[in-house]
Amino acid sequence: MSDELPHADETPGSDPLEETPESAAAEESSPALRSEEPQPDSVEDVDVDVDVDVNVSPGAPDESDEPDELVDAAEEADEEDADSPEESEEESEEESEEPSEEDVARRAFVTQVLAGSIGAVVGLVPVLSGLIFFLDPLIRGGRSSGDATVGGSVQKDAEGFIKLPVTRSLLPSDGTPQQVTVEDDLVDAWNKFPNVPIGSVWLLRSESDEVSAYSTICPHLGCAVEYRGARSDFYCPCHLSAFKLDGSKDNPIPPRDMDSLAVKPGMGEEIWVQYKSFRGGISEKVEV
Amino acid sequence: MIRSLLAWLDDRTGYAGFLHEALYERVPGGARWRYVWGSTLVFTFSVQMITGFFLWSAYSPSANTAWESVYYIENEMIFGSLVRGLHHFTAQLMIVLMAVHLVQVIIDGAYKAPREINFWLGLVLMQIVLGLSLTGYLLPWDQKGYYATQVSTKIMGNAPLIGQQAQELIQGGPKYGHHTLTRFFALHAGLLPISLIAFLGLHLYVFRRHGLTVKDPKHAPETTFWPEQVLKDGVACLAVLLLVLGLAVWKGAELSAPANPSENYAAARPEWYFLFLFRFLKFEFVEHFGLAFGSIYVPGALMGVVAAMPLLGRWAVGHKFNVAFTWTLTICIGGLTLMAFYEDGRDEDHQAAILEAHRDAERIKELASGPNRIPVSGAVTLLREDPFTQGPRLFAKHCKGCHRYDGHDGRGRLVYAGTPDGGQVRAAAEAADLGQFGSPAWMKSVVVDYSNHFSALKNSGWFKNADGQDVLDPDESEMADWSGDAESLGSEENTQNVAALVTFLVAQAGHNTRDGKVIEHDTAAVDRGRKLAVEGDWAGAINGTSCADCHASIGESFAEIGDDDADGYPNLSGYGSAAWLKSFLSNPAAGQHYGEKNQMPAYAKRMTSTEMDLLVRWLTGDYAETKVEPYAAQRMPPVLR
Repeated sequence: MSDELPHADETPGSDPLEETPESAAAEESSPALRSEEPQPDSVEDVDVDVDVDVNVSPGAPDESDEPDELVDAAEEADEEDADSPEESEEESEEESEEPSEEDVARRAFVTQVLAGSIGAVVGLVPVLSGLIFFLDPLIRGGRSSGDATVGGSVQKDAEGFIKLPVTRSLLPSDGTPQQVTVEDDLVDAWNKFPNVPIGSVWLLRSESDEVSAYSTICPHLGCAVEYRGARSDFYCPCHLSAFKLDGSKDNPIPPRDMDSLAVKPGMGEEIWVQYKSFRGGISEKVEV
Repeated sequence: MIRSLLAWLDDRTGYAGFLHEALYERVPGGARWRYVWGSTLVFTFSVQMITGFFLWSAYSPSANTAWESVYYIENEMIFGSLVRGLHHFTAQLMIVLMAVHLVQVIIDGAYKAPREINFWLGLVLMQIVLGLSLTGYLLPWDQKGYYATQVSTKIMGNAPLIGQQAQELIQGGPKYGHHTLTRFFALHAGLLPISLIAFLGLHLYVFRRHGLTVKDPKHAPETTFWPEQVLKDGVACLAVLLLVLGLAVWKGAELSAPANPSENYAAARPEWYFLFLFRFLKFEFVEHFGLAFGSIYVPGALMGVVAAMPLLGRWAVGHKFNVAFTWTLTICIGGLTLMAFYEDGRDEDHQAAILEAHRDAERIKELASGPNRIPVSGAVTLLREDPFTQGPRLFAKHCKGCHRYDGHDGRGRLVYAGTPDGGQVRAAAEAADLGQFGSPAWMKSVVVDYSNHFSALKNSGWFKNADGQDVLDPDESEMADWSGDAESLGSEENTQNVAALVTFLVAQAGHNTRDGKVIEHDTAAVDRGRKLAVEGDWAGAINGTSCADCHASIGESFAEIGDDDADGYPNLSGYGSAAWLKSFLSNPAAGQHYGEKNQMPAYAKRMTSTEMDLLVRWLTGDYAETKVEPYAAQRMPPVLR
């Protein structure tokens, strides 16, 4: 009887099912209609089919096929006994007479749940495997971006400072910015490109001989910031962000000042810069 | 709420009726396992679409990125090996399921009226699937796919009238290159799947129009597709999925070494389901009629018969003929496939080639994951410049005529000579086995067992037919005499001395281990050994005899000695080192080496300096560390033994 209970509980819960005995008596209802009814409560995967059929079958075009189905389903249930002995034994003990309609419905229900869940599993395995594969960049992190290599052809120290191909005294002493290319080893997925240009920086030498460095990437949306000699400022040709020569923003377009880069102190004539990229469009300076 | 929404949707689209039609197809005679085959094919195709899309998102079709991107998918991307494995094995299973489906349709007479059109649609689908597997096989651009596909396109080139043009069109030129891949990829991920979807739609539509072919409608009461048959189909698909998952996880899709047009791939075979055709083409009577006969006309004619089955079936005994034909064909295909497997299994060269292919595949994985990654010129250059890979090949090409390497030709193959009665016997080496060259075992053997160490020389023709000429004689030389004094060298007092001398010689040769690891030497022993070599403070009768008595420069690192300064004794400065070896290989007949007694060819002009460098670096262990097993001499199959 314990087997019977959950189903019995479900039965009054849903209205269409209450109609079922009547329509079944009239041999008008499809077994699908009744059997699917409990599903909305328990199995989500096959939900759609279930509701569809409930709503539709009375007026569905193939109704002509349906009248026999109840009988068929009953016999079918017998056939199914062979497939699922456990269930059938229990049930036949309880109802040694002919199987009740509820019994038939339950068997059909089990078939549907099984069919639906197996269908879901076989469909989901390839889809989920593929999705996880597709999420590779997020899951493994930025492994395909530039790799910090110490030594080799590029002069780079452990903190990521890279020696630039320019010396302090070659920078204009009047504070005019100079754009300098940064070279590093670039790892891109399976390739490694040794010692290639990976970007550039603006360098400025102040009167007190301090060298400052700014990324040429606009903090707004990533275009290249240029130096505008006539106005002696930086501006971005894409969305007209403007910056003063000390990197501070000069109009409301950019969300923050230009991204300054650390210059390694105490290197004499040599200029070593820590080249980094930052996320665009936000007011904080967040490294990528 | 949801219900009213769905009702609204149905009112606007009528989807419910459509779904009902799809799900409540009549299944007279009850749901049966025998109806699952078509559904498993639809399922495998869906898996291919899904996994194919994701692989597409990481694949790069060009001659120097295709293999590299597949390598990256397979070895570095998360779940890459799984997704590729699913795609790889599902493709193969699809062929099997397709064959089962076809055979079942024929046996059940499901091709007969009114289902002729659907039968032909199925045959079209079969061609598309075969096209997909052929194009897909090339995409990884590995040795296996490259050489197998070469055969397919060559066959295409042999087709009558437009063969040549068709071949060039699909290859994107007279030879394989970037455009072969872009074209194959456009077919594989574009035209062919779209055609498959279109024809599959038609196939299913016509199938639904005529319904299942039911042999015994009284088997069980009629039921509907959903849920009875869906459950059986679902279980079958689950079995398919589990099989494919198992293969993908435990076996994994193979990725052989990157395609290398300059490197023969002796292990080349078509994918296993085409082996029957491969084997068929090898029959002499087939070859006799020309390539087009065996590879185009015969398969074409067979397909023609299959296509004509619905028409033949109208004839009184037509169905019986069709079934008999199908069984005969199935048995022939099965038989030829087994034959091909059996013969390959007993083919020593083929087995060696397969082992070498696996070895290369392992090695390139090591190199590609190294700190320098893959150069822009492609992974194939990594293998081309790798002494561990190229050394054995060069040895087999240039050295195996006289030398052996651990008893084989460098690549794991035994060396045979013909016998007068047309048989084969193992050929005796005619010079030293270089497998241990530069190792402690080698050095010790040279010092204390010189005659035996070089005894292979006595097998050579020049030695046997010397006729009193002055040739290298391992038994008759000052070195043989000195080394032959077993009493003195083997004495208790000298055991340490010999060990020290060997350590010194090994250190001087400076080889790494065979897996490329640097060897550390005990400096005290090295110094002691050097002193022995130069000063000869041995115990017993050989005290005062030193290596340097004859080999004056033995204690030093290698320096060339010109012919004018040569003293008739081999120059053993840096003996066994890369520099010494290169000098020796370049011209063994130089005064500083074997002089006039030499019989070995000079290799300075027989190989390029790059090749010699690779060979020397291999022999001295100078390459990136490896876990790849060394070549082992192939066991002979019973037929040859």
